[in-house]
Amino acid sequence: MVQCPSCARRSEPCLVCPQCGGPLPAETDGFTALGLPPKLVIDLDELERAYHTISRRIHPDHFVASPPDVRAASLKGTALLTRSYRILRDSISRGIYWLELKGDKLSESNNRVPAELAELVFEVQEQLAELRASRDQSGDQSKGLAANMLHVRQDLDIAMNRALDELNGNFRRWDSGAASEASLRGELKAVLARIAYLRTLIRDVDRELETVEAA
Amino acid sequence: MARIVGIDLGTTNSLIATMQGPQPRVIPDPETRQTLLPSVVAYSPEGEVFTGEEAIKREPHLSVERDGAVATVGFPGGGEGAVIRSVKRYMGLDNADLAPADRNRYTFADLSGPVVRFKVGDRVLTPPEISAEILKALKKRAEAVLQEKIDQVVITVPAYFNDGQRQATKDAGLLAGLQVERLVNEPTAASLAYGLQKMASGRVAVFDFGGGTFDVSILSVKDGIFEVLATHGDTHLGGDDIDRAVVDFTFDGLPDLPRTDRHIWNTVRLLAEDAKKILSFQAGVAFELKLPGKTLELKLDRADLERLAAPFIDRTIESCRHALKDAGLQSSDIDAVVLVGGSTRMPLVRRRVQEFFGREPLCSIDPDQVVALGAAVQAGILMGTQGDMLLLDVVPLSLGIETIGGVVERLVFRNTTIPTSVSEMFTTAVDNQTHVDIHVVQGERELAKDCRSLARFKLGPLDPKPAGMPRVAVTFLIDANGILNVMAADEETGRGHMVDVKPSYGLTDEEIERMLEEAIDYGEADIAERLMITARNDAEQILAAVAKQMRDHGGLIDDQERRQIDEMAALVDQARKEDDREKLAALVEELNQLTTPFAERIMDEAIKQALEKKTVQELS
Repeated sequence: MVQCPSCARRSEPCLVCPQCGGPLPAETDGFTALGLPPKLVIDLDELERAYHTISRRIHPDHFVASPPDVRAASLKGTALLTRSYRILRDSISRGIYWLELKGDKLSESNNRVPAELAELVFEVQEQLAELRASRDQSGDQSKGLAANMLHVRQDLDIAMNRALDELNGNFRRWDSGAASEASLRGELKAVLARIAYLRTLIRDVDRELETVEAA
Repeated sequence: MARIVGIDLGTTNSLIATMQGPQPRVIPDPETRQTLLPSVVAYSPEGEVFTGEEAIKREPHLSVERDGAVATVGFPGGGEGAVIRSVKRYMGLDNADLAPADRNRYTFADLSGPVVRFKVGDRVLTPPEISAEILKALKKRAEAVLQEKIDQVVITVPAYFNDGQRQATKDAGLLAGLQVERLVNEPTAASLAYGLQKMASGRVAVFDFGGGTFDVSILSVKDGIFEVLATHGDTHLGGDDIDRAVVDFTFDGLPDLPRTDRHIWNTVRLLAEDAKKILSFQAGVAFELKLPGKTLELKLDRADLERLAAPFIDRTIESCRHALKDAGLQSSDIDAVVLVGGSTRMPLVRRRVQEFFGREPLCSIDPDQVVALGAAVQAGILMGTQGDMLLLDVVPLSLGIETIGGVVERLVFRNTTIPTSVSEMFTTAVDNQTHVDIHVVQGERELAKDCRSLARFKLGPLDPKPAGMPRVAVTFLIDANGILNVMAADEETGRGHMVDVKPSYGLTDEEIERMLEEAIDYGEADIAERLMITARNDAEQILAAVAKQMRDHGGLIDDQERRQIDEMAALVDQARKEDDREKLAALVEELNQLTTPFAERIMDEAIKQALEKKTVQELS
């Protein structure tokens, strides 16, 4: 239970006092902060509305003349709210956060190429190497290679969209409670690892394409 | 609730505004009716302080008589005491940041310290003290007009101001006897002024090109909520730079004009500023400069000016590109473009902005006043008179801490909505360590040395304990002003205290610019350097571990094995002093394999001992 610094009444941890509407100094998870149920499928408009509504209630701009403990609750509560909103707004960070809430995390040291991506990764690396090697050569050749690279870039987008679809599928299965948590967690980790890998590849390719464009 | 007023503390001009009923109004000087107060401060040899036009009179210059576009320049005037212009450029700066041009222009005291200090007669003044004089003049003006005491204010700052520059602005308010209730970013303030008129909604780009700074902010404006999506800018890019280019061009064209004479230089600078303004309406301008014994003609046409200004305007457009990218938008997604700042009066600027965003920019609110009007609206929000309006701004630069090997661990990413906080657990590296040093940096680069030092502080005193045992949770909180606050709490005792964080110094615009540019240009070099540091750390760890195991478990290893390990360890030790990461990584791997059997024997031994203990315990 948390005590409200404005009305001194106690309530369950959340950011807006249900009794008086003032800011509460609570430490909550991101879903609770935004007043949402702990579900992975989120309607982004609804999320934004929740963020704006709660911001209007507890933002420090509304407590300039309030006592220090109310101001502190407003500041901390708003910081937690904005951080939670940022995490939940993006499905990838939401997935990673979900794992954290389950006491798990996406291992950073795992750089193995996900099996489903092996072929694509090989192609991207090969094309990147060719493009880099052609930097000093004639314009025509590197233009041709850049065009190939653009095709690869589209393949990467397709793979990314597929992975994001899978992520959303996984989210739906968590929410429905149909499958076992252990299998869902393994699946979530695998698809997030694949997304992380694809993101790095896309960044590398974009950087290379920008270099070509600049030259 | 007491009145809160809004102040635009500008590089060139400053203004004060307040809500009057539902509308914000700029408060003019009660005598001159002027709304703009030139941000110029003069100190007479007797110690008197002058601001605005009164201060400008005291600048060394030649008397100028104007008749239309013809200026006749005569005898020298002013020049006594010290006159400081554009002090905003020096807010939150370190002496090392001063350019040679600054040192030619002003006299500085004590160049060794971390803060810029101007030498004014026998006084030494910091930029916040000088800015405070401008704030005091505005406060006096408002009190005279409103007939009430004013001590609560909102002050605007460039969105791209860093922590040190914001802190310096807050300090200036304090020194002027004002309570700074909020620092608001200038482009965001401008969006409030337009938003109040319902002239800009949806996705809004604010292009703020002032006398000394440039900012661009991309906002989403919806149901009274003004949410900044991304901001970019340059705290040392403004109309001043264009004036200076015009001055250089003028001197280049008139070899007879002595560049080193302060009176003449200042006069040419004033004329350049005038010429720039006139060329917004005319195609050409000419001034006659009458010097003792000769008359020189200063001529400039719009094409010259545009050629001189183009490189600076290119940089503003580049910033727009960055901001859009960070907001995840295309220029076609923007519903309204707002122009702010005197420099947006230049036709070339308007053309380029229109070209980039593909739509005609809004400029119906006076670009010199719009920021002050917005500051008054924000003051109204704080007073609770603006209904549902709420501003959600962002932090312009990432914030991180220096970790082993000088690598930055980023804690708050740029364009994160403020207020925001992040907690990090710190512990000790050696036994009985009583303090942990923390170095906070701001910037986008991978290595701390390439970012701007923001603050250093010590955690402690901690109770002496084995390494890794103490656990201190440190919370980094960026408040709604964009200023960092740090809190630390010992996990075990729950003992919490505010940590006194003294900013190292402010960031220069050139530095921020360089940091960002280099973050893009040198991205790969950074990563290579980072990997090398990680490889060195790995090597040091394994060398220390192997040495310790050989010392503690010498009995589990024979002479030949020991010799082989020693030789390999020596090779690793050699390689870690060189720069070949792959070689180092390969040698570390070899050492790892070579010591594996030994490590296994240590493990077996430990298990055996543990089992023996258990047996003894079970028996007893």
